[in-house]
Amino acid sequence: MTTRPWWSRPLTGLAVVAVLAFTLFPAYLMVSMSVDARADDGSRRLIPTDFTLDHFSFVLDEGNFTTYLRNSLLVALATVVVSGLFALLAAVAVSRFRFRFRTSVLVLVLVVQMVPMEALVIPLFVQAKDLQLLDKLLGLVVVYVAFSLPFAIWTLRGFVAAIPKDIEEAAYVDGASWGRMFWTILMPLVAPGLVATSIFSFIVAWNEFIFALTFMNDESRYTAAVGLREFFTAYDNDWGAIMAGSTLITVPVMIFFVLVQRRLSSGLVAGAVKG
Amino acid sequence: MTSSPAADLATSTPERPTRPAPGRRRSRAGIPNRQTWRAWLLLLPGIATLAVLLVFPLYRVAELSFQDFGLRELNLGGAEWIGLDNYRQLLEDERLWEIVLPNTVVFAVVNVFLTVVFGTLVALLLFRLGPWMRGIVTTAIMAAWAVPAVTGTYVWVFIFDARRGPAMRLLDWLGLVNPETTNWFDDRLTFYSIATLNVVHHGFPFVAVTVLAGLMTVPKDVIEAATIDGASAWRRFWNITFPTLKPVFAVVTILSTIWDFKVFAQVYLMPGGDGLNREVLNMGTWSYITSFGQKEYGLGSSIAVLLTLVLLVITVLYLRVIFREEEL
Repeated sequence: MTTRPWWSRPLTGLAVVAVLAFTLFPAYLMVSMSVDARADDGSRRLIPTDFTLDHFSFVLDEGNFTTYLRNSLLVALATVVVSGLFALLAAVAVSRFRFRFRTSVLVLVLVVQMVPMEALVIPLFVQAKDLQLLDKLLGLVVVYVAFSLPFAIWTLRGFVAAIPKDIEEAAYVDGASWGRMFWTILMPLVAPGLVATSIFSFIVAWNEFIFALTFMNDESRYTAAVGLREFFTAYDNDWGAIMAGSTLITVPVMIFFVLVQRRLSSGLVAGAVKG
Repeated sequence: MTSSPAADLATSTPERPTRPAPGRRRSRAGIPNRQTWRAWLLLLPGIATLAVLLVFPLYRVAELSFQDFGLRELNLGGAEWIGLDNYRQLLEDERLWEIVLPNTVVFAVVNVFLTVVFGTLVALLLFRLGPWMRGIVTTAIMAAWAVPAVTGTYVWVFIFDARRGPAMRLLDWLGLVNPETTNWFDDRLTFYSIATLNVVHHGFPFVAVTVLAGLMTVPKDVIEAATIDGASAWRRFWNITFPTLKPVFAVVTILSTIWDFKVFAQVYLMPGGDGLNREVLNMGTWSYITSFGQKEYGLGSSIAVLLTLVLLVITVLYLRVIFREEEL
């Protein structure tokens, strides 16, 4: 390319530093306060001076956070398994079979994906109450499976369609049944896609707030995102505990996200759900 | 996607007609063959879940919005149809026009604009960087994206906490605010400014990463030719990059609009956002508080329907963009 003016490089460097600072500051603040003995002190420095793990032991032992995290984990794992399975079956159907209404099904999936979760809290709350699913982890799993399915179907469809037909046909020539071909040929090849959509479903379930808040009255059924509110009081907030709890919620998701970054960005353009 | 179904080999039915042209759907009437049955069997669990948990509730929320549905109806069943009364009450409420709609619409417009502009600038920056630096910054952006709305909001609340928040202490140190008398969460404008920081911080990574992916597809020789012809970076962006990436910009703008219109947790979890401070209600929180705070599920549903209709219009736009781009 052509030469750039002399101030181009330092300016780029400055912009990089500014973007990094803005991007990482909240996460830094969260983690640094969670290990700072002076987290609730009005005079604390940006860099912690007194290292401690007291906030973590407080939230885990006295703050019931162990229960909340366990609930979140159970709900998220169940969501991943069920939505992964349903989505894989549906993805094979729409990308490997030609049938009437195939395009309609795809459009339907895309349209329901745009339905705002927030607008369905009221009817789903009434439905869950009628079915006695309130205060049950199963109630949340059912809802999260529905909300993570469209994206999962849409993403997996791409993965399945990318597998060359020849491989499948070779299996048939060798005498494999459709079921056997599915498990021994298709499954291993879509595994990376399944990992990506699993992580996505996990994040949906792990981060979700509004349904967890509405469905769960019993404190022992809270998920971590809702349980965090317990550390807020009318007059004073226990910021050390809040940040320790927040760190416990955030770090696993962060690791997942960084691991699947490429897949997520390409899948999000076609589908569209925000974690 | 090719047209010949792989499963043909496994389920070769004798009366199979000749293949239609590639890309065209086979619209054969008559008895469904084994292949069709298998496809629907595979679709069944997913489609049933979507029907029961997304499509039916969508009908239910519309139904509830025409009913007087309160705590009694919730516990005992049955509900009285009241026609458009909920909507009438809603549209006659001054709060809708003076507080809720401006809070929702102005907030969404400002946030979409800021998110897309900032995200694009970051994408252009990433594009200039070498592979190493780009990797580092992208990872940092991903980390910001990963922060859940709930915990991210708490951190921003702390940053602007009147006594201990770093932002307020900095402003106090500069002599700009008096922490004894200021609470930025009480005032509508400052409340939503903090929410804006939070939402833009959470939303720009998606724009940056998507636009960057688009930038990679812009032909390099065109840009180089323009540079040699003396076009400035500003003109190169508007005359080459932007027109090429128009579909990408349309998608990120529409998706950001949808997300920013229905923002809930980021407002609800801020001090006063859960209904204590009526000045800062938006459509999402208003609907929620009306339903679950005041137990007026019917009225709350009508707010939710209104929000859904707005989002539906935006979705239609989104679909038109998507379908122009990709063959199903």
